[in-house]
Amino acid sequence: MKTTRSGTRAPAKQDQYTVDVFAVVNGAPVQWRVDTRTTLLEALRDSSGLTGTKRGCDQGACGACTVHVDGARVLSCLMLAAQVDGRQVTTVEGLAGELGMHPMQEAFLRHDAFQCGFCTSGQLMSAVCLLREGRAGSDAEIREYMSGNLCRCGAYPNIVAAVREIADGAGA
Amino acid sequence: MTATKPDLGTWVGKGIDRVDGPHKVTGSAPYSSDVTLPGMLHAVIVTSTIPAGSVTKIDTSALLTLPGVRAVFTHENFPRLNAPAPVLFGEAPIAPMQDGRIVFHGQEVALVVADTPQEATEAARLIEITYAAEPALLDPADGQPEPLALSPDTSRGDTEAGWAAADVRVGATYTTPENTNNPLGLMGCVAAWDGDHLEIHDSTQGTNALRTTLAVMFGVPESGVRVHTPYLGGGFGAGLNQWPYKLLAAGAARELGRPVKVMLTRPQMFKLVGHRPNSEHQVRLGAGRDGVLTMIEHRASCLSSIDFPAVGLLTSGTPHLYNCPNVATVERTVRLNRRYPTSMRAPGEAEGNWAIETAMDELAHELGMDPLELRLRNLATDLDPATGKPWSSNAVIECCKVGAELFGWSRRDPRPSSMREGDLLIGWGMAATGFFAYMPVSQARVTVYADGTAAVRSAATDIGTGTYTIITQVAADLLGLHPQQVDFQLGDSDLPASAHSGGSGLASSLSNAVIDAVSHLQGALLDLTGDDSPLHGLGPDDVVCRDGALCRRDDPSVRVAIADLLAGQGLVEASGDGRLRPPDAAAASMVHAGPYGARFVEVAIDPMIGRLRVRRVVSVTDGGRILNQKLARSQIIGATVGGIGQALFEDTLTDPGTGRVANGTFGDYLVAVNADVPDIEVVFVGEPDRYTPSGTKGIGEIGLVGVAAAIGNAVHHATGRRLRDLPITIDQLMM
Repeated sequence: MKTTRSGTRAPAKQDQYTVDVFAVVNGAPVQWRVDTRTTLLEALRDSSGLTGTKRGCDQGACGACTVHVDGARVLSCLMLAAQVDGRQVTTVEGLAGELGMHPMQEAFLRHDAFQCGFCTSGQLMSAVCLLREGRAGSDAEIREYMSGNLCRCGAYPNIVAAVREIADGAGA
Repeated sequence: MTATKPDLGTWVGKGIDRVDGPHKVTGSAPYSSDVTLPGMLHAVIVTSTIPAGSVTKIDTSALLTLPGVRAVFTHENFPRLNAPAPVLFGEAPIAPMQDGRIVFHGQEVALVVADTPQEATEAARLIEITYAAEPALLDPADGQPEPLALSPDTSRGDTEAGWAAADVRVGATYTTPENTNNPLGLMGCVAAWDGDHLEIHDSTQGTNALRTTLAVMFGVPESGVRVHTPYLGGGFGAGLNQWPYKLLAAGAARELGRPVKVMLTRPQMFKLVGHRPNSEHQVRLGAGRDGVLTMIEHRASCLSSIDFPAVGLLTSGTPHLYNCPNVATVERTVRLNRRYPTSMRAPGEAEGNWAIETAMDELAHELGMDPLELRLRNLATDLDPATGKPWSSNAVIECCKVGAELFGWSRRDPRPSSMREGDLLIGWGMAATGFFAYMPVSQARVTVYADGTAAVRSAATDIGTGTYTIITQVAADLLGLHPQQVDFQLGDSDLPASAHSGGSGLASSLSNAVIDAVSHLQGALLDLTGDDSPLHGLGPDDVVCRDGALCRRDDPSVRVAIADLLAGQGLVEASGDGRLRPPDAAAASMVHAGPYGARFVEVAIDPMIGRLRVRRVVSVTDGGRILNQKLARSQIIGATVGGIGQALFEDTLTDPGTGRVANGTFGDYLVAVNADVPDIEVVFVGEPDRYTPSGTKGIGEIGLVGVAAAIGNAVHHATGRRLRDLPITIDQLMM
């Protein structure tokens, strides 16, 4: 028996693969000259050194790579870097303000809403957007709209508690 | 161990926030995937597409002309490695790509190295491999059962006589599917050589075991290998073994003279870093009309890969939980052309408990007895029934009683399908559990400085359980300092050697090592006192450290500032080294008890669409001394979530014709998500354990055990259906 594994596309020349991207990341302008196949996740991590955003599956199924683009949560592993040209990107490194951590970060600490910490950046980015989306009205709603972010350590009840506390404080 | 009981009353136990928490919520905690070194190359693993046979040809010449591609390693050019030494549970690591032999679908057959991950991924996709396939052993029925090193057969009494003497008997077969650990953190490493010195940043659960393996297999001194793991994105057992990807990275980096990074993909996480293997359990229980057990028989088997056996432990809890004169356990494994198994959170115990505690529920039903009452009549609390020796501690009865009270168990109508809310069927189920005691040796060094601060150092890892925090608390109490004055450095194999995060053993191992280290530190500080010192002539355990001073234990007002002791000898620091020591004679007369637990679960089932919701969980654990209430609660909650996944979702499917993982993505392999998990009530009971000075028991895994059986028993209560094969799925619940 012969089994082969081969691609269908001919190898391309390097220059066909390059694109320039101009974006604003965490409030500062950035310019990336990247391989066109580069995802937003890879550009953030490899070109800008913003490694707080994590790769958990590269298939849009775990939520670890969640960031904000123009204020909305997106899975950065499913978005090409080229797609954020001219747009605003916020990562976990951009959550804290001049006065210190974002209230959601502090709530995650208080409620022990993480263990290994690997999914935490994505959980935080989703949680912050959840309030903006008006999806934190009840525990059931928080659970439903946080379900795109997997936590294998199983911190879910503590994540709900942290989001609930901030939502209550914000009058959501 | 130290003669005096350690003073662990100020910070130990308090639910302080994680000391590493600020790094984790700001994205600044460095995981192995975040490491970038100058000149670093990126490597992608290519895996086999047949389950058995050999590689006959890999044409790499075309790949080497692709943009950025630096090298393609196969069995023909990957360096030959020395034979591995078993380092953990007797399992020898696998040496990858030493020949073209294929023993499972998805095995490492090539490594493509390029300047960027994109280039390496593209080239790996284009590689052409020719195989000579051979017949594969894929059906367990065709395999040859063999015993497992960690799970010897056990027997006491006469089970056939116990069966004959029983008034009520149950017997059935229970199964659990393959589950994949799937920590959120994709595993991977960066390896870099400087001559014969190797540094590797890896997502291992044990830095020293990896160091030993790398030194042996690459033939370099162990002193020259350094493993860094300050953070790892979970593991649940997947980081315990010295998997081939680490050896591939180190080998490629050595050949190319540049740092090499290997990161697994999520589909590769299903194949290359282990899993909980399928298991099958034949259980027979007999009891008198009064519910007292007359016999327990547990015959279990699980699957192994050709070159790497399963851990087993399916029957390890069975001889110990219940008083019963006639008990037999038999455990076997069958090697197939399937991917490597490993430990997954509560290995063996999670599967064995599913079988035994479901069978106990069946027995209670046959007896017409409350399932809680059946447990209370049989649980072994004073003596270990297998040895007749006293337990070092055992509060399993208290777990059951406290849990029942909190849950409101007395209001349970025992008749199946009797409790309803509108169209919903409500079910209440429970399960009891123990867990093995495992405590490998760790070492630690405690250092005090003239400025009043202190450091603890150990090569241990914090897998997310809270090692950073709890050891900081232990040291703060022993040194009489605030936790902010104590810096615990871990995750570096150059620090005093430590056991792995695994088997729920690290908290006990490391806390006792720190207790021992502080005793030696006190001895070292006494050594600095002069003849005129008020502390002169005292022994290490006659003194304690408090607020930057060394004090008489029985009269802390008699004290000498540590800064003065150091300055008097021209020193800037003093240290004590410690290790987990074998128990003293008093402890040796006992049986080292693990943790215990009881789980109570309410499910609501919509019989029209088969939807099951876990609505309430009460989880009670005897965890000995609890080092941090907040983090301990999180351990039990997280493990309960794992148990819900085991019960209802997790099921790694293997194509029976090819041995291929059929659902190896997070889109296809379901785990519990936020909406699947209710609020979970966690309670700790019991006393500090008598076996070691710290009084701790491991609580990282026990919380998972019993959850599946409690859910399954609740399903029976709700529906009258006895489901014996996990996971419990919608199709089984439509009525």
